[in-house]
Amino acid sequence: MTRQAIRVNNVTKRFGGLTAVDDVNLVVDEFSISSIIGPNGAGKTTLFNCVTGFYSPEEGEIEFFDKPVQGLPTHKICDMGIARTYQNIRLFKEMTAIENILVGQHTRMESTWVESILHNPHFIKEEKEAVGKAFELLDFVGLSALADTPAFNLPYGAQRRLELARALASDPVVLMLDEPTAGMNPQETAEMMAFIKELRDSKMITIILIEHDMRVVMGVSEKIAVLDYGRKIAEGNPAEIQSNQRVIKAYLGPSMNGMTNRKKRKKQNDA
Amino acid sequence: MIEKLKNIKLSTQLIFRLVIGILLLVYLGWRIVQVTASGATFGADTWLRFLISGLVIGGMYALIAIGYTLVYGILFMINFAHGEVMMLGTFAGYFVLEAFSAIPGSAAQDINFLNAQPVLALVLAFLVGAGVSALFGYLLERIAYRPLRGAPRLIPLISAIGASIFLQNAAQLLFGPQRRQYNNPDLLWRGTGWMIPVGDKTVMLTYTGVFSFILSILLMIGLFVLVKKTKLGKSMRAVAENKQAAALMGIDVDSVISKTFLISGALAGAAGVMWGIHNGLFNHYVGFIPGIKAFTAAVLGGIGNIPGAMLGGMLLGLLESLGPALLGLDFQLKDVIAFTILILVLIFRPSGLLGEALTEEKI
Amino acid sequence: MNESLKRGLRLGLIFGIVFIFFMLIGFTTVATSIIGQLVGNVDAQSSSGQLPVSNLIIFTVIMGFLTGISAHKKDLKPNWIHVLLAGLFSGLVTGLMVGGFAWLIGGLDAQGVDFRTYLPNLGVREIQYLIFNVPPQAAALRYILYFVLSSVVGALLIKVLSPGSTVNRAVVTLKKTTVDKLDVGKLKGTLENKYVLVALLVAVGALMYFLPFVWGSYWNYIMGTVAIYILLGLGLNIIVGYSGQLVLGYVAFFAIGAYTFAILTAPEPHAIEMNLWLAVLISMLTSTLAGLLIGLPILNLRGDYLAIVTLGFGEIVRILIKSDLLTALTNGPKGITNVGQPFWRGRLFTDTNYMHLLMLLVLAGLFVAKRLKDSRTGRAWISIREDQTVSQATGVNTFRYKILALLLGAAIAGLAGALFASRNQFTGPEDFTLMVSVNVLCVVIVGGMGSLPGVVLGAFVLKGLPELLRELSDYRLLAFGGLLVAMMILRPNGLWPVSRPKFIKQRLEACKDEPMEVSA
Repeated sequence: MTRQAIRVNNVTKRFGGLTAVDDVNLVVDEFSISSIIGPNGAGKTTLFNCVTGFYSPEEGEIEFFDKPVQGLPTHKICDMGIARTYQNIRLFKEMTAIENILVGQHTRMESTWVESILHNPHFIKEEKEAVGKAFELLDFVGLSALADTPAFNLPYGAQRRLELARALASDPVVLMLDEPTAGMNPQETAEMMAFIKELRDSKMITIILIEHDMRVVMGVSEKIAVLDYGRKIAEGNPAEIQSNQRVIKAYLGPSMNGMTNRKKRKKQNDA
Repeated sequence: MIEKLKNIKLSTQLIFRLVIGILLLVYLGWRIVQVTASGATFGADTWLRFLISGLVIGGMYALIAIGYTLVYGILFMINFAHGEVMMLGTFAGYFVLEAFSAIPGSAAQDINFLNAQPVLALVLAFLVGAGVSALFGYLLERIAYRPLRGAPRLIPLISAIGASIFLQNAAQLLFGPQRRQYNNPDLLWRGTGWMIPVGDKTVMLTYTGVFSFILSILLMIGLFVLVKKTKLGKSMRAVAENKQAAALMGIDVDSVISKTFLISGALAGAAGVMWGIHNGLFNHYVGFIPGIKAFTAAVLGGIGNIPGAMLGGMLLGLLESLGPALLGLDFQLKDVIAFTILILVLIFRPSGLLGEALTEEKI
Repeated sequence: MNESLKRGLRLGLIFGIVFIFFMLIGFTTVATSIIGQLVGNVDAQSSSGQLPVSNLIIFTVIMGFLTGISAHKKDLKPNWIHVLLAGLFSGLVTGLMVGGFAWLIGGLDAQGVDFRTYLPNLGVREIQYLIFNVPPQAAALRYILYFVLSSVVGALLIKVLSPGSTVNRAVVTLKKTTVDKLDVGKLKGTLENKYVLVALLVAVGALMYFLPFVWGSYWNYIMGTVAIYILLGLGLNIIVGYSGQLVLGYVAFFAIGAYTFAILTAPEPHAIEMNLWLAVLISMLTSTLAGLLIGLPILNLRGDYLAIVTLGFGEIVRILIKSDLLTALTNGPKGITNVGQPFWRGRLFTDTNYMHLLMLLVLAGLFVAKRLKDSRTGRAWISIREDQTVSQATGVNTFRYKILALLLGAAIAGLAGALFASRNQFTGPEDFTLMVSVNVLCVVIVGGMGSLPGVVLGAFVLKGLPELLRELSDYRLLAFGGLLVAMMILRPNGLWPVSRPKFIKQRLEACKDEPMEVSA
């Protein structure tokens, strides 16, 4: 019986006069791949930020496997097992690729500063294992050759993959990806889609996406939630969402099935 | 209400703030009680004197603080060298007055030009002082800050520190380290003024003090009008809000920034000349402490907020003047009061008195 | 063509202003005497006709060079005529400015005007010096001539040396045939050879041991100060360089360490006179405590605010030490004398002993700093510096690590303070001004944030060099300020920027080891 990894209960987040997230309810099942979609400004990233601890919601609770996490500091939430990537890439620019991943592992390591100075066996062992694991992750995303390159020198696609690897470094149970395919061409996008599925299948991670690219959303998601002006206006599987009138009106547009309006009218006229 | 109380996280920060806050209130209360109970209080005349001097210096702090706040609002950086900009104005005004006093004012050689035309001398002193400061403010931005526009915050700050050190020492090397005295016209001689009876004593309301205070207020009003009503003011506010949008609207961002530095420098220069006229003694170091205190004032009022800077300046002047007496502390510790206020403001209300709460970071 | 002229004009103006500025601050006098020392005609001071000329020519030649360099910007591809004219023009502008100025002050001086009340560097003798002891008009013409000539020569010289020219091509081919042939890889390889490394270490160690005996107490004092600043730099480096917190009041911890040690070991004012090593420990403790007290409430402040608040704290500490309020504790402005000194082999520490001790501490400090850097802790700090918000979301408890950095930095400053007080046998409030904080900050930033060789280099440059150039000590701060601005614009990463650790080689070597395990 799959548990509910994340439960968002009546969460509201306000910024002064603006209500960015308005009484949203959401359930994400363990091991699922879900997406949150909606027009710009709908509150998707704000919701992400509430779940990961950047913001504290004014109302409502957020539960992680039945444990309340709203308002907890971000490092505690990361420690509990929720990791994320960012809409605009936020790597540690001056640090190398492998260092970024090592920082990602911070919460799963224990060495103290005293041990760093002493270089006792525990410290040495832990560092060695961490470096080994970091290289595994780099291999996983295909960046081993660039391990010692500072992050700001990496090409855009590599940076995206590195950020993903950094998020994976903390052995998360839930992985939250904010627009992972932004700026990618169709081939890279297809690779990312396969990658996401592979992540869930091989590492048994629950994945939540924010995405604007509908091929990705419809292609990998099992469940989709649609936000508009801070409210959830629809929820369901890809087929249900695609045919939901409200969603089409607010966001998708009538051309979802690959036909433009002109083509549709032409078809009707010909019929 | 109870709900809200329940939701307050007991973070270390909060506990620490509460502890400090309570300790502080207790200390302040104890000192005030001690002072009043011991009966060693000052008479009403002394309090009035403190009040007056607080207002006068507050006005000067306000002018310099506005300079900090203008630059911060537009570039999000602390112009560490702003105190030196003021100092240069003080020097410039000094030279003007010296020049005037060296020229004979009438054929009879019994009066120098300074006293023959005091109004002209003063006007010129202020114009030149403000002008020199404005020029250096402008040069500072062009040379030390503009090349570093995109860099991480630390870099321009260090550059500003370097510029501050450079200007201080340049002044020292050029003009010598000795303290100089402002040559006021006889009309506005330091230490002369109206005598006000208070009880059975008298308090002097110095001409220089009144002059400085009124001029400060006038300049503040002028700046306020400039920022609120003129096109330049609008451009400045636009650039402060969002540089890119302003540029897209056709505003020449670089030019606006330069003008901001010119204005901020001019105000500091005027304050510098005022300082010289009212306080008399000065040297190359004269800008350092007032600079830091004016920054404190700007933060107190809410950095980036112009009325805040004005309020902060006046308030700091008063607190500094009345504080030691109120708390029964040594006057040596006047500066400590200013710094302590700074630290407290930043702990308890970092947005300042009039500033808006700093928006949460956009992720 | 226009561009070259405009650039020439601008540079001419800049150099004109700079040269006049130098004249006004008395730098020309100092520079000429230095040149006199270099050239060997120091005694010709009274007949001042000789020296200014050599100084002037050198300076104008430099100026000419710079004009020439910019006249030859790559994108403009100026030809000989352009370069000539640019050099000529800028030399003319500078010459006119300086010449005009010389004429002015010479003329006024001849009429009896005394500048000294307002411009102390323009005494009668100085002015005569600056106008070559000839009538003002002649001096003006001389300046124009010198500037124009040397500027043109400089510009032409640059053109001759620029890429594409015959001379330049010759130099490049020379380099290709000789220098590039040196196999840098092989050199590095030899260094990694164990025996070479050990031999090198032994040599350096021996040098460090023997030098303090050899170079005399003056150099022991200077190098001792450098060592103390290296220690301070290491401490501040952890706070600013690693964790990115801009602390401008670092001197406060230095002062607290020094004063704690002094109070505990000096006969006055408290006659506690406890064991010195215990006193050092307590000094470090009090500094650390101060770090905790000031750190906890302000840790979450944004960069610039943190800077100003810590600056205020530094000043508060100094004012309090000096104040009447705390005179009973600190002896006020008089300071504390006869601070405790340790014994070595039955005798009081000599300056050589202090030097050795400081060297050891510096080595220990470098060791600790390096180990901290290449560890989970160090990476946590750097991630905080890079992006605090994301660092915390990636699992780093930023509050704890920031405080840790502050406490460690404060402890090191306390240690340095205790040593400082002990070595000087005295400590007073004027030893702990804001400038000390600024100095240490510059050591870290100019050396290279987060870079350990950078800190060492920074301390040598900022504390050691000025001692070498003692005649220029009046201009030290001026140069300092200018250097800071210049460094930030030209080389913000510092003189020896930090280099990130390399892991790939480590992995390759690990892979070499592994097959053994598998086969067994």
